[in-house]
Amino acid sequence: MKSFFTLFGAVALLLTPAAANAEMYGETHSKDDTHTSAQVGQAAPDFEATTIAGEPFKLSDHKGGIVVLEWTNHECPYVIKHYDTGNMQGAQKTAMEKGVKWVSIVSSAPGKQGHVDNAKAAEIVEEQNAHITAKIIDESGEIGHLYGAKTTPHMYVIDAEGTLAYAGAIDDNSSPRHDTVEGATNYVLAAIDDLTAGQAVQVASSAPYGCSVKY
Amino acid sequence: MRAITLFITALMICAAPILFSAPATAQQQEPDNYVQWRALAEMPEILAGEDIWIAVEQDIYPQWHTYWRNPGDSGSPTRIEWDLPAGFEVSEIHWPLPHKLPYGPLLNYGYEGRIALLQKLSAPDILPDGPVTLTARTEALVCKDICIPEFSSVSLTLNKPGNATMPNYAYFERAQDKLPSASAWPAYYTQESGSGNDFVLEIETPFLCTPEQPCDDLELFPHEWGLVDNTADARIERSMDKLIIKQTASPDRDITEVPQARFLVAYNNAQGAREAFEISGALVTPPAAATSAAAAIDVAITADISPDVTLAQALLFALLGGIILNLMPCVFPVLSLKALSLVKIAEKQPGLARMHGLSYTAGIILSFLAIAGVLIALKSVGAEIGWGFQLQNPLVVGLLAYLLFVIGLNLSGLFDVGGNFANTGQTLTQKSGLGGSFFTGILATLVATPCTAPFMAAALGYALVQPAVISLGIFAALGLGLALPYLALSFIPALDRLLPKPGAWMDTFKQLLAFPMFASAAWLVWVLSQQAGTMGVLSVLMGMVALAFGIWLWRHLPAAGFWRFLLKLLAIAAIIAPFIMLPRGGDQTSAIEEDLKFGEAFSPAILQQALASDAPVFVEITAAWCITCKLNHAVGINIAPTKNAFANNNVRFLVGDWTNYDPAITDYLHKFDREGVPLYVFYAAPDANGQRPAPQVLPQILTPGTISGLF
Repeated sequence: MKSFFTLFGAVALLLTPAAANAEMYGETHSKDDTHTSAQVGQAAPDFEATTIAGEPFKLSDHKGGIVVLEWTNHECPYVIKHYDTGNMQGAQKTAMEKGVKWVSIVSSAPGKQGHVDNAKAAEIVEEQNAHITAKIIDESGEIGHLYGAKTTPHMYVIDAEGTLAYAGAIDDNSSPRHDTVEGATNYVLAAIDDLTAGQAVQVASSAPYGCSVKY
Repeated sequence: MRAITLFITALMICAAPILFSAPATAQQQEPDNYVQWRALAEMPEILAGEDIWIAVEQDIYPQWHTYWRNPGDSGSPTRIEWDLPAGFEVSEIHWPLPHKLPYGPLLNYGYEGRIALLQKLSAPDILPDGPVTLTARTEALVCKDICIPEFSSVSLTLNKPGNATMPNYAYFERAQDKLPSASAWPAYYTQESGSGNDFVLEIETPFLCTPEQPCDDLELFPHEWGLVDNTADARIERSMDKLIIKQTASPDRDITEVPQARFLVAYNNAQGAREAFEISGALVTPPAAATSAAAAIDVAITADISPDVTLAQALLFALLGGIILNLMPCVFPVLSLKALSLVKIAEKQPGLARMHGLSYTAGIILSFLAIAGVLIALKSVGAEIGWGFQLQNPLVVGLLAYLLFVIGLNLSGLFDVGGNFANTGQTLTQKSGLGGSFFTGILATLVATPCTAPFMAAALGYALVQPAVISLGIFAALGLGLALPYLALSFIPALDRLLPKPGAWMDTFKQLLAFPMFASAAWLVWVLSQQAGTMGVLSVLMGMVALAFGIWLWRHLPAAGFWRFLLKLLAIAAIIAPFIMLPRGGDQTSAIEEDLKFGEAFSPAILQQALASDAPVFVEITAAWCITCKLNHAVGINIAPTKNAFANNNVRFLVGDWTNYDPAITDYLHKFDREGVPLYVFYAAPDANGQRPAPQVLPQILTPGTISGLF
């Protein structure tokens, strides 16, 4: 048994120089320049954009308060699941009442599912009865790539210091069935509760589920 | 003709919805559902306390896909929720090998086309009366550019009265072929520190992805999300005893959240076929490696024990099998001599007798473990071999023939080796005789191997599909069985009294025992004739003569001088030459001799073609070195009643010859859970609906009436 542990130590040591080798390969597989996607526990990447209301939005301007980023696509069945059941709006309302800023982002490319112009986006907010601070059309996918957003919905919670505190799914039930929102644990609200209580976020990441972002 | 009728009928059925739907929208109509669901069972009936396979099939619309258990960057796995009658249980889903499905900058793991999600259904010990109906709520996210969740329900009814349903063995065989195999190699994973670094999975196997066993296009599919960057490719590094797989790590998850994980590894083997296995790994964070490493081994050992034969049963079979081996013509003389030699020692030193018993046992068990180790190692890298593989190599057959011949010479008194290998000489009373006992154990194993295959088929078949540790346990039990009679003799003095008193008769008896040895050697030469042709036989026979001459010459060297030196060289040359002359390569064209072979040569293609016809099909898988096969052939197949039955019923008789290594035949054996020959399979003629009943596997021992009784 003892020799086994020794072996492991040796393996660990051997791996270290191998890391240098890996760099070489790693590059060939990165898909774009913005490979540095957001990481929980590190500063949330800053971005500047214009909201559908025509106002400028800069993330770093909102330090001092919690910000939620929600990737959305109104035609995606998972987004529909959370809006038709009122689950998303409920979470938005709860969060906004605690002073949280909620930003919905649409990264669908022109011609792809969920792509909308500002006017149509405003109409959808109206129809959904969404409670949000701002909505941003990111048709180049720049912000989406910056955060590594993969699905709709894909949720990010940024704390008052501008650190990414949560990234992942809206809740713990990835079924597309509408009745599954009941009884599911909402990770975004849980993260907000942890942050306002001054605690570490218990579930800081989860597997995002839903439709792929239509870059 | 039947095939054409079927095809036209199928065409009409498929065309019906189009013909009857609104004609204006007939072109490029998208379907209402992108996934068609159905449920199937392996067999129409389930018995109390038994397991059968069930499948939920997804027929996915072209270019659309559904998801694997880990969907990758987006998506959601298919869910199946069974509503089962009381007491029934289903296993988790056995997912077939997924594909990487890139979408823009994202990558998903999923399926296109038609797939079967398998589950094992277990029945309670008391079955309800009448039919058993199972219903499942199914849901899948099906995506192309957009995603649509689809819900459905499927149901299955088992144990229907009247029972008109056919088993779906062929369907389930194909479905199982697409499942990854389980691998018990220890595996560990870690993430290199820093950002943008690699996830590293190490698998402790000396075999995979070596120059001899290449693996192209290796893909890593973690069951857990957030371990690897799904869009990156896996890269491999090979060390002496490890396969190291690296892939860019995912930034989305802290790896310490995942102390244990399973992985699916897929690759193209040397033949270009896609293969996959699943493996359990444990997280290794370099400073705290110890505990998780130990845990990983536990996991590896306890993984996936087949419930069909219990471990205890298999061990017992192996033990009994080992005891029976003692009666084999090749082993019996060795044991007899051991027993006789024991009589001498036990009289004087009972303690020493026990030591001999233990040495002999150790020799046997270690040799069995060594053979099993080689077999397991070869299998784990995908070599298509089964038990008896040793005898598929003419070199091994030749060496065994020499060995048995030389033992025969020794027994008949041509020479003594040291104190004589079987320890009948005086050296017995000395400690050094223990090495001889150990050697005798190894010898007993070697000479027993040709006889193991037919008698141990069930236990060894079970052994070889188990994790390595269990396999080795079974082989050790087999070895213990072989050693047991002698061990018992050496430990229980009362048994000694059953043995005759030592005396001059022992020498005569010893000489008598030489003949089974010569007979075994002669049989091996005949096996060799199947593998290496007449030239191979000539080489081995001449080799035997040279060996005997060399040994005789050695015993009659002149006392001294130049001639002694020269003749000594000649003797050495005569002893070495036979080994150089041994035929090495198999002669692939040679086969079972003509008079025994009245069928067609088996191949998967010919079987397929035969099954497509209306004729009944009988498959015999045999090998020249398999005595049971030969006996069955002579007693049950190559006889007038069987030949007449075949002729009267237009039976297609296919003979597969496994004398030499043949992956297609090994594959066929595996379909019937066999690791060795003989195998007899009967496919009855199709019924009125053109459906063939399930193939019938005949017992391993045939009687004259077995086959004619089928018709």
